[in-house]
Amino acid sequence: MTQMNTDKNLTDKSRRSFLQLLPLGVFAGVLVSIGGAAFRFLRPRLNAPSDQWLDVATLSELTGPQPIAKKVLAEHVSGWVITSEEHNVFVLPAKNNQVLSPICPHEGCEVFWEQARNRFACPCHASFFTADGARISGPARRGLDSLPTRVQDGKLQVQYHVASEQDGATQA
Amino acid sequence: MSRPADSVSHESSVWPWLQTTGGIVAALLLVQLLTGVLLAFYYVPSVDHAHTTVSYIEKVVSSGSWLRSLHHYGSQWLALFAFAHVARLFWNEAYAYRKAHWVAAVVLLLLVMAAAGTGYSLPWDARAFFSTRVAEGLLGGLPFVGRYARLWLLGGSDISTITLSRFFALHVLVTPFVILAVVAWRVFRVHCWSNLNRNAIVGGVVFVALAIWCWKFPAPLGPAVETATADYLPRPGTQFLWLYETLKHVPGAVGSIVGVVLPGVGLVILASLPWLRARRRLIASKLIGGVLLGAFAVWAMTMTVAANLSDRRDARTREQLARQAQQESQWRSEPFTPVKLPSSVASAQTANSAEPPALYVKFCADCHGQHGQGARRGNVTFPPLLGVSAKPRRTVEDIVGLLKDPPAYGLQPPMRSFADKLSEPQMRELAQWIVNLKR
Repeated sequence: MTQMNTDKNLTDKSRRSFLQLLPLGVFAGVLVSIGGAAFRFLRPRLNAPSDQWLDVATLSELTGPQPIAKKVLAEHVSGWVITSEEHNVFVLPAKNNQVLSPICPHEGCEVFWEQARNRFACPCHASFFTADGARISGPARRGLDSLPTRVQDGKLQVQYHVASEQDGATQA
Repeated sequence: MSRPADSVSHESSVWPWLQTTGGIVAALLLVQLLTGVLLAFYYVPSVDHAHTTVSYIEKVVSSGSWLRSLHHYGSQWLALFAFAHVARLFWNEAYAYRKAHWVAAVVLLLLVMAAAGTGYSLPWDARAFFSTRVAEGLLGGLPFVGRYARLWLLGGSDISTITLSRFFALHVLVTPFVILAVVAWRVFRVHCWSNLNRNAIVGGVVFVALAIWCWKFPAPLGPAVETATADYLPRPGTQFLWLYETLKHVPGAVGSIVGVVLPGVGLVILASLPWLRARRRLIASKLIGGVLLGAFAVWAMTMTVAANLSDRRDARTREQLARQAQQESQWRSEPFTPVKLPSSVASAQTANSAEPPALYVKFCADCHGQHGQGARRGNVTFPPLLGVSAKPRRTVEDIVGLLKDPPAYGLQPPMRSFADKLSEPQMRELAQWIVNLKR
C-alpha cells in the first residue's frame, strides 16, 4: 500500500513538473519556429562580383611616368535598389596602363598619391605604397590590388572590385 | 465580493478550454512582436521605397513571405481574439472582481486596433493608400477637432511620405511599447496565473494553425500606388470589413461618428464598467456591457458578411476582384526588379527644369505655383503637383477627366472645372506636362 502511494506521488510529481514546463515549451516552440525563419530571413545576401566593364579614359590621355587618378562610375545592386557610385582608381601608364584599386588592404580607407614623395599614402593608419602599388611600410600586409582591365574602342576599361585584408588577393 | 473572475463554476469539461483567450492573445502578441522586428530590418517607410521593400521581402528574402504573412494575418487574428478576450472576461464579470484585468483587456483591444490601423498603410500598395485616405476622411470629419486631427495625422495638408513616416513611427515605436506596458501592468498588478497550462496549449495550437494558414495563403500585396489602374477596387483586411461596409451606408461626416466616435465611446464605457459597479449598479453594468459587446459583435459580423456578399453578388465587382487576384498571382511569379535611385539616373531631364507651357502659366500657376510646387493664399493651401503621378488615378487620362469634372475625382472648390475654357488637346497637353513633374 505504501509502495503504491509512493508510486502515485512520484507520478503526480512528474506530471506536475511536465505541466509546469508546458508553457515554457510552447513559448520556446514559437521562438524556435520564428527564430529558424529569422535566421534565413536575416542571412546576408552576397552579391557576385560585378562583371561590368567601366570606362576609365581614352588611351591617348594616359601618358607620363606618374600614376594618374581617374574616376569610374559603377552601378551596384544593393538589396532593392540600384545605385550609381563614383570610385577613384589609379592608372599606371608606365606599367602598361595597369589600374590600381585605391582601397588600402589594411582597413579599407582610400589611399592618395603623394607627388612629393612619389608614393601612395593611406590617410587612416599610415600605410605606404610605391608608385606601382607595392607595400613599403605600415600595418597593411600587402600592396594595393590591381583591377582587371581591357582596351575597347581605344578606351581603357576596368572591372571595379573591392578586396579586403581577409581576401588576401584581388577578387577577379 | 472577492470572487475570482476566472473561477466561475461550470460543470462542462469544455468550459476551462474556453477560458484560454488570454493565452491566445499572448501568443499572437508574441508573434506580432517578433515578426514586426524582423520586417523592420528591410522595410523603408518612404513612399518611394515602401512598396519596393515589401516586394523585396516577399520575393527575395528567404522566409520573407511567410514572416510577413504571420504579421499580416496575425494582426487580424489578434483583433478577433482580443475582442473574444474582452467578451470572455465580461462573461466572467471580471469588471466587478478584477478591475485591472478588465481595464487592461479593453485598453489592449483599443491598442490592437490602433496597431492594425497604422500598420495597414505601411506596404503602400493601392489598398494601403486608399485605407490611409479613408482614415484621413474619418478623422477629418470629426466634429470640432476634425481639421486639426486630420492635419496631425497626415503631417501636412495632403498624404505624403511624412504621413507614412508617422504611421510607421506610431506602428513600431508607440503602440508596441504601450501594449507591452499594458501587458506588464496587467501581469504585475494581477498575479493571476490560473489555467496557465491550458492557455499555453491553446496558444500553441493557434500559433500552429496560423503558421499553416500563412504557409498556404501568402499575405496580399496590391499594386504600387503609382501603377494602380483607375478600376482598381481596394478592399480592407478582414478586421476592418465591418467599417468598410458600414461606410457604404452612411453619408459624409456621419461616417466619422460611426467609425471613430461610437467605437471610442463604447470602449470608454466598457473600461468604466468597474466604477459603475462600485456605485452598486451591477445589473446596470451587466446590461450596458452586454448591450455594447453584443451589439458590436452582431454589427461587425453582419457588416462583414454583407461586405463579402455584396462583392460576390455584383458580377462586375466579382470579375474585377478576380482580375486583381490574377494580376497579383502573376506579379508573384515574376522575378524582383531592383529600382534605380533617382539620383543615379545621370541624365534625368525632368519637367521641373523645363519651362511650363503657356496654358499652365495662364490657368494653373496662380494656385499651384510657377513650377507646380504648390502655393498658399491666406488660409487656403493649394497642393503641389510635383510627383502627382505617383498617386492613384492621376494618369494623363485621369488628369484630363479631373480638369473637366474635379468633384468626380474627389476635389473640392476652389479647384474648378476647365471644361469650358480648355479644349481636349489643350487639357491633354497640360496633363502630359503635369505627370512629368518630379519631386
